[in-house]
Amino acid sequence: MAIVQDRKFLSKAGTVLKYVLLIVGAFIMIAPFADMFLGALRTPAERIAQPPVYFPRDPQWGNYLRVFTELPMLRWLGNSLFVTAMVTALQLLTSAMAGYALAKFQFKGRDILFRSVLGAQMFPFFLFLIPIFFILRYFPLFGGNDIFGQGGSGFLNTYTAIILPFAVTWYGIFLMRQFFIGLPDELLDAARLDGAGEFRIFFVIALPLVLPGLATLGIFVFVYQWNEVIWTMTVTRTAPDLQTIPVGIYLLRGAFIDQSTRSLQQAALGISILPVIVTFLLLQRYYVRGLTAGAVKG
Amino acid sequence: MSDTSPDATGRQLPATPHELIYPEPPRKTLGALLGSQKIAPWLFLSPMLAFGAIFFILPLIYAFYISLTRWDSLSPPRWVGLDHYKYVLTMDPVFWKTLWNTMYFAAGSIGIGVPLAMVLAHAFTRSRGQTLWRSIYWLPMITNVVAVAYIWKFVLDDRYGLLNRALGVLGLGAPGWLTSPTLALTSVVLIFVWMQLGHNMLLFSAGLANIDESCYEAARLDGANERQLFTEITIPLLMPTTLFVLITNFISGLSYFTLMLVLTDGNGGPLRSTTVTGLYMYQMAFSDLRMGRASAVAYVLFAVILVITLIQLRVFRRGGVEAH
Repeated sequence: MAIVQDRKFLSKAGTVLKYVLLIVGAFIMIAPFADMFLGALRTPAERIAQPPVYFPRDPQWGNYLRVFTELPMLRWLGNSLFVTAMVTALQLLTSAMAGYALAKFQFKGRDILFRSVLGAQMFPFFLFLIPIFFILRYFPLFGGNDIFGQGGSGFLNTYTAIILPFAVTWYGIFLMRQFFIGLPDELLDAARLDGAGEFRIFFVIALPLVLPGLATLGIFVFVYQWNEVIWTMTVTRTAPDLQTIPVGIYLLRGAFIDQSTRSLQQAALGISILPVIVTFLLLQRYYVRGLTAGAVKG
Repeated sequence: MSDTSPDATGRQLPATPHELIYPEPPRKTLGALLGSQKIAPWLFLSPMLAFGAIFFILPLIYAFYISLTRWDSLSPPRWVGLDHYKYVLTMDPVFWKTLWNTMYFAAGSIGIGVPLAMVLAHAFTRSRGQTLWRSIYWLPMITNVVAVAYIWKFVLDDRYGLLNRALGVLGLGAPGWLTSPTLALTSVVLIFVWMQLGHNMLLFSAGLANIDESCYEAARLDGANERQLFTEITIPLLMPTTLFVLITNFISGLSYFTLMLVLTDGNGGPLRSTTVTGLYMYQMAFSDLRMGRASAVAYVLFAVILVITLIQLRVFRRGGVEAH
């Protein structure tokens, strides 16, 4: 009897410990975020006050409006939205097409291709930064280039340079293949007997059946691309009109020099993460699937 | 799929009923040919194949060629053979420092981040309000790196940062979290752990969900306590997930540099203390315009990552066999 009570006490203590742990962790996750959103509302004096002021006494809501008049916020947001939408659409299409071919057709070289897709994921992105930059610059017949890629600036300083390197991803192809492989072959064969062409079968029958897969990949690509910094920064450093919101805020860092403009910086950064948070909260169950799809099953 | 193709033994297959009904099949139009089962898969694959050629294979070859030249991207490249590799590996003291920083960063973020994620996932999996916890812990990982860097730059600022002002109230010292050469990289590690925690927690909680509840019940009947359940059942059965998290985190840690770049305005300071090899390569290419040497650094780092990954897979495969 004593042992049982002892164990009950221990498991109760374990439960308390568990929630204490989760709450402390949650505080460490949220407090810095709140500091950014609240920092945008603090007066310059509150920003450096000692003892520190966490919650502003007289919130400067105007800062969230000032960013739209004093910074090219709408331009940045528009660019982010355009680039993200284009990349998401392209990647959904190319991944679905390739994933479908690798899952549902028998042809010579299929297994080698699929293994190459898996292997290609092992190559880190930094290996491609320099060569792709110059491939885009010397792309023949575009941006004033002649057939040898000389004479102009190729795709540099265009949206194409931001978007094209993300048009296909090996991860996306892998993920879509996993979703297509579950489709019954009989369904596709029945359509073939009815005389439907392969493209019709793909767009009318197969694609609608993997909508959850498309949603998973879509939210994944959306979050990734909205947050993409290193490539976009590299190709738009000299083209302010093309910069997305995180890149624009980073490259304009020299303008945020005093406590008042730093509140603006925090407001702009706060706005930059809102679209992702909203999308994510609405669709997070699809995101889980995308992240765990690559993991081994226990 | 052709009706008269020979089978494996070379015998002609009998015609299918399909052919019996239409002894003379309708003439194939171009559209029908492209939509046939033979050609269609290649059309579906064509974007991937074109992309793979232009943005995967070509860059790998091109980067290797660049690494064999001296090139500032403005004047024509000059062939130097393997000189850059020789310089980087034998003469460049900065390269080895950055490689050390890279190892410190990758090992540090795993050493702190993985156990933390495991414990928190364990607490998270059997608790109420999962959606709430999940949304909170995932916040940093869906946030762009510029916002993450500036959130912490403001909190950790030497004089006006929230943390040091709070420490001042308590009468404690004010460490230079991001300005002290001995402390800066550790601060970066901690920020990175904070960024990645949600991701790793998710992988662990997916692994935990796969463990059969009956294992725990059987052990409880045998009189195991909560701590024994964790060490004797959870940890061994979670081994495949743990290995997956360790390997992927280590690889991504070795190639990561965006956070350091944004935190330090691209210079990897103070005194190069946060310059990891990826950042070193990036500075070399896009600030110093040494495309040749930067490409050589990229390939050397890739080789290092490849070797470490292969060793890890070997060691873990052996460990994995023993665990089962």
